[in-house]
Amino acid sequence: MPREIITLQVGQCGNQIGMEFWKQLCLEHGISKDGILEDFATQGGDRKDVFFYQADDQHYIPRALLIDLEPRVINGIQNSEYRNLYNHENVFVADHGGGAGNNWASGYHQGKNVEEDIMDMIDREADGSDSLEGFVLCHSIAGGTGSGMGSYLLETLNDRYSKKLVQTYSVFPNQMETSDVVVQPYNSLLTLKRLTLNADCVVVLDNTALNRIAVERLHLSNPTFAQTNSLVSTVMSASTTTLRYPGYMNNDLVGLLASLIPTPRCHFLMTGYTPLTVERQANLIRKTTVLDVMRRLLQTKNIMVSSYARTKEASQAKYISILNIIQGEVDPTQVHESLQRIRERKLVNFIEWGPASIQVALSRKSPYVQTAHRVSGLMLASHTSIRHLFSKCLSQYEKLRKKQAFLDNYRKFPMFADNDLSEFDESRDIIESLVEEYKACESPDYIKWGMEDPDHLMSGEGNAAGMVDPNLPV
Amino acid sequence: MEDQKVLDLVKELVNRLISQPQNPNPNPNQPISVNPNSSSVDLNHSHQALRYAIRILSSRMTPSIAVDEAAMAESIKRQLVTQGKSSEALTFADLYSKFSSKTGPGSINNKWAVLYLLRVVSEDRKISRKQPNSTVSRGLPAIFDSQLSDNSRVSRDKERGWSGGVLVVSKDPENIRDIAFRDFANLLKEENEVSEEVLVRDVLYASQGIDGAYVKFDENIDGYALSDSIKVPRATRIMIQKLCELGWLFRKVKGYISESMDRFPAEDVGTVGQAFCAALQDELTEYYKLLAVLEAQAMNPIPLVSESASSGNYLSLRRISVWFAEPMVKMRLMAVLVDVCKVLRGGAMAGSIHMHAQHGDPLVHDFMKRLLRRVCSPLFEMVRSWVLEGELEDIFAEFFVVGQPVKAESLWREGYRLHPGMLPSFISSSLAQRILRTGKSINFLRVCCEDRGWADAATEAAAAAGTTTGRGGLGYGETDALELLVAEAAKRIDKHLLEVIYNRYKFKDHCLAIKRYLLLGQGDFVQYLMDIVGPELSEPANTISTFKLAGLLETAIRSSNAQYDDSDILDRLRVKMMPHNTGDRGWDVFSLEYDARVPLDTVFTESVMSRYLRIFNFLWKLRRVEHALISTWKTMKPNCITSRSFIKLQQAAKVKLLSTLRKCQVLWDEMNHFVSNLQYYIMFEVLEVSWSNFSNEMEASKDLDDLLAAHEKYLHSIVEKSLLGERSQSLYETLFVLFDLILRFRSLADRLYEGIYEVQARSTDDKKKPSRQLSGKSAEPGSWATEGRKALTQHASKFLSTMSQELDDIGKKYSSLLTGFISELPVQQHIDLKFLLFRLDFTEFYSQSRPNI
Repeated sequence: MPREIITLQVGQCGNQIGMEFWKQLCLEHGISKDGILEDFATQGGDRKDVFFYQADDQHYIPRALLIDLEPRVINGIQNSEYRNLYNHENVFVADHGGGAGNNWASGYHQGKNVEEDIMDMIDREADGSDSLEGFVLCHSIAGGTGSGMGSYLLETLNDRYSKKLVQTYSVFPNQMETSDVVVQPYNSLLTLKRLTLNADCVVVLDNTALNRIAVERLHLSNPTFAQTNSLVSTVMSASTTTLRYPGYMNNDLVGLLASLIPTPRCHFLMTGYTPLTVERQANLIRKTTVLDVMRRLLQTKNIMVSSYARTKEASQAKYISILNIIQGEVDPTQVHESLQRIRERKLVNFIEWGPASIQVALSRKSPYVQTAHRVSGLMLASHTSIRHLFSKCLSQYEKLRKKQAFLDNYRKFPMFADNDLSEFDESRDIIESLVEEYKACESPDYIKWGMEDPDHLMSGEGNAAGMVDPNLPV
Repeated sequence: MEDQKVLDLVKELVNRLISQPQNPNPNPNQPISVNPNSSSVDLNHSHQALRYAIRILSSRMTPSIAVDEAAMAESIKRQLVTQGKSSEALTFADLYSKFSSKTGPGSINNKWAVLYLLRVVSEDRKISRKQPNSTVSRGLPAIFDSQLSDNSRVSRDKERGWSGGVLVVSKDPENIRDIAFRDFANLLKEENEVSEEVLVRDVLYASQGIDGAYVKFDENIDGYALSDSIKVPRATRIMIQKLCELGWLFRKVKGYISESMDRFPAEDVGTVGQAFCAALQDELTEYYKLLAVLEAQAMNPIPLVSESASSGNYLSLRRISVWFAEPMVKMRLMAVLVDVCKVLRGGAMAGSIHMHAQHGDPLVHDFMKRLLRRVCSPLFEMVRSWVLEGELEDIFAEFFVVGQPVKAESLWREGYRLHPGMLPSFISSSLAQRILRTGKSINFLRVCCEDRGWADAATEAAAAAGTTTGRGGLGYGETDALELLVAEAAKRIDKHLLEVIYNRYKFKDHCLAIKRYLLLGQGDFVQYLMDIVGPELSEPANTISTFKLAGLLETAIRSSNAQYDDSDILDRLRVKMMPHNTGDRGWDVFSLEYDARVPLDTVFTESVMSRYLRIFNFLWKLRRVEHALISTWKTMKPNCITSRSFIKLQQAAKVKLLSTLRKCQVLWDEMNHFVSNLQYYIMFEVLEVSWSNFSNEMEASKDLDDLLAAHEKYLHSIVEKSLLGERSQSLYETLFVLFDLILRFRSLADRLYEGIYEVQARSTDDKKKPSRQLSGKSAEPGSWATEGRKALTQHASKFLSTMSQELDDIGKKYSSLLTGFISELPVQQHIDLKFLLFRLDFTEFYSQSRPNI
């Protein structure tokens, strides 16, 4: 009963970061590119069966579904040296291979059409697990397949596997540079609605911040996708270490997430990682004590979400929860000391409406991966400043929507047929109320928030499908 | 007997004595004063001698030795033997037996006197042969020898003074008359008082524990004394008394020795006692030698330095007192020791002798040291064989280490102990402890670990300490050597023992296994176990089958990473159901246990395991509460359906729902915060910190005792810090009330969400498929769900009201309990709970909202 986690990688971005993630996992567990356990990987203590299963021939096969509407990335994977790693039955590429054209509606619609095929694959994987813990979705929210089809999958999973956890690693677009995808704000908004309603936990990977980190922290003048993706895979693998290297606590995903997400709607997590390196700079950072790691994790420059907050608002922002996963050889006595220093220096602002603290999980480091630093740390945190990211999405959406730009592409699909744009409005309302709730969390009166004006929060009707009704954003 | 006959016999004897000497040994160089050619002189001479003899015989003169016929005969015989005349000795013995068997009329009454006379005569002749210069005429009884010498001194001095009150008038040794006169004077003197010579002899006898003629042992005064009837000067009497103390002491020592020796096989004198006796015996032998010399000298005059100097008898009482000074000290010491040691044995004896050895007088010190070396040698031998071979060679229970038969698991703790009474004071208690532990280690290795390698370690230790493994390497005064030996042996044996414990018996692995399983360190295993035994444990305790639980444990092992653990470790992990009372649920009695087995059960004794069990129960309960909270979270997780449509509910009902849910979430958050921080506290501040301290101490441990102490400390720190200690009883109780409250909250939250689901299901059904309202599980007759929107709303708001009320109740109770708990934390001075407080109140949420904390 390994509490299996099935990974769904949807779209170009999803498959790219997914592949990096599996590469990293293979390295850490000593699994070769073909899925065979390396001879040196005998030290044990790790749990491979959370993310892999063993085929009859002793192959370790990722519990992963590779889904895309166009074949380029998946073909790339299938021609790479990792081609034998994946189960070929778990690869879905749309027959037409034409993709979703960066259109959320197209992705969503196509998702609906291939639902049966994909759900068959998912069911098969789920049946193959003893005690399925949940799903992890890797996607971007800006494109077409990852956002649209991803959204559809989220709704379906929520419906069919309502007891299982759904966690997403959602890549937010880089808003510093003009994107070639002009309808990005539309796609983001529509996906955000599903992330809010149908996911249990969203790990926000902000391309803006990833780029900034690559430039500022890693001194790469022009970071490639591969480089930012390696940051993502580092975060993803680090956030699953406590599942893969069982210890006293945090051995399952639900335990990990429950403490991080006390208020169901505020389930968007930021991440921070230190020390950050890319492969060629492996020996850049040396000084790593627990205190150093924990202090650095609280610095905005190491956080992989850019908050776009103004100073005044930023000072209001509060942590709802923090979990630091410290990897490596750590003297447990240092943890308390570090926590004490952090409190003394008031390095962290917590919510005032309930008790909170920095949780620290210690985890082993893979013995097969050599790193220059003794200790590394990942922070998973729920922080109210994330609302500024959503506000930014909203304002970009408003700009576009005002101009009524590019809406024709959406009207082609059933959801928006007959010029019914209520889905947009509804999504906007939901995101708005999400932003409001995060804001409310900054005040000590959160407990009473929303009681006076439930109408405002519960506006809107159910959507056409009748599946999702965003009336009660508690 | 008729006088005439006696006279004839005497005459005959004198004639023979006078005429005989030339015949057996005609030595031309022998300047015999008697001229054989001159028969007239000869005749005259014999006549005179006869007269003298008769006079002597008729006097009341008695020899100063005890009247013992057999002893006399024996001494004659021995003398003959020592002179190499064994055949003559045989002849003598034959004659003597005939002589002594003759009784009745016609036989000699005074046989001893006859023997004595013969002996004296023979001795006298020998002396006269050896001392050609002697002026003493033949035939004079040797008993007067000293007196004669004395007299001759006087005569040589040409002093016509008094000797013994008799004026010596003649200087002519040839003058038989003079001689006789002098003798007469002496006889007179003896009638008045006992001469010093006799007294010296008596003293010498007394000092050997033999009654003399005058100096006898007096039971009344418990000592040797000159009987009052004998007239001697007061000074002499006192002097004799002083000298005779030696005899008294001698008697005591001798008595002790013979008593001990007699007792030996039957009663337990002990080897130390035997050694002590032997040492005393040796001392006595020395003393005998001295006495022998003195006795021999007593008969000799002082060698003359010059002709003019006078030469008295060598020994006087005063001289004896000088001679006796040293033996007196020794004898006194021995007597004191004998007194002290009479009731003591073994180590205690050695110890008390040692106490007396602490003396400033180098003489005493050396003497005691010599004695102690002997006395301690069996003891040290015991130490040696104990620390090098682990053998308790102690049949007389003299050693300061006492063994008793115990089971293997308690061998280390109870098998051997120090007997403080038998611990000699020259062995410090820390050294004794080391000695005890070293031998114990060997026995532990032998009995519990079935190890043979210690012998090498012991040999090595002996080599390093410079002693052979053979016997008798050590002695008293070599405490340094002993200490070195013990230190070397201890170092190696302990090291070896620890190596065996660490490497062969994998002590650390087992500690880690206990930490993983009993202290729930192996999270995934614990989780699965919780998952699968959970439903089982909710049943009443008496219906649960241990067998089934064991199967579930097996399953949990197989499906978690525990499966990769050593099978030796997994075999030891068992389910244990504690005794249960009626009404107990499985949760109350379930626990895991770990079978440590020999030799590790020395560390993990039953009481230790029961403490582990208590910790397990606490942690298990904590886990269960955490588990409950997590499953509650799962019912209210972000994407669950409760966040959806309630369009049919009225505004007020919506608000109510919203506020109830919020209440539930916030309360959940608070509880989860508490439980998870308690968990973090347990993990970091309790388990990990204790473990890391224990690991360090384990590294530093030099022997098993250190290891045991380290483990004890480890366990104690966990127990205390987990609030399981006695002093945190009230905190612990509060904690359990909190836990129960959380479990209550769990079921309440479950009910709440179930209710909401139903409302929701009805409302969607209502909306989507009004025709099928009666179908499904909630179609019970009279059910609110069937009665349309208004009823639904009413029901919902009623349900929510109750729920909200109950949540408030639990919330209030929880918060007051928690406040109580937290406010108690800083007051607990005995344990370091500030860490827990620090974690629970990291954001000062509690201290700000309730300033009294």
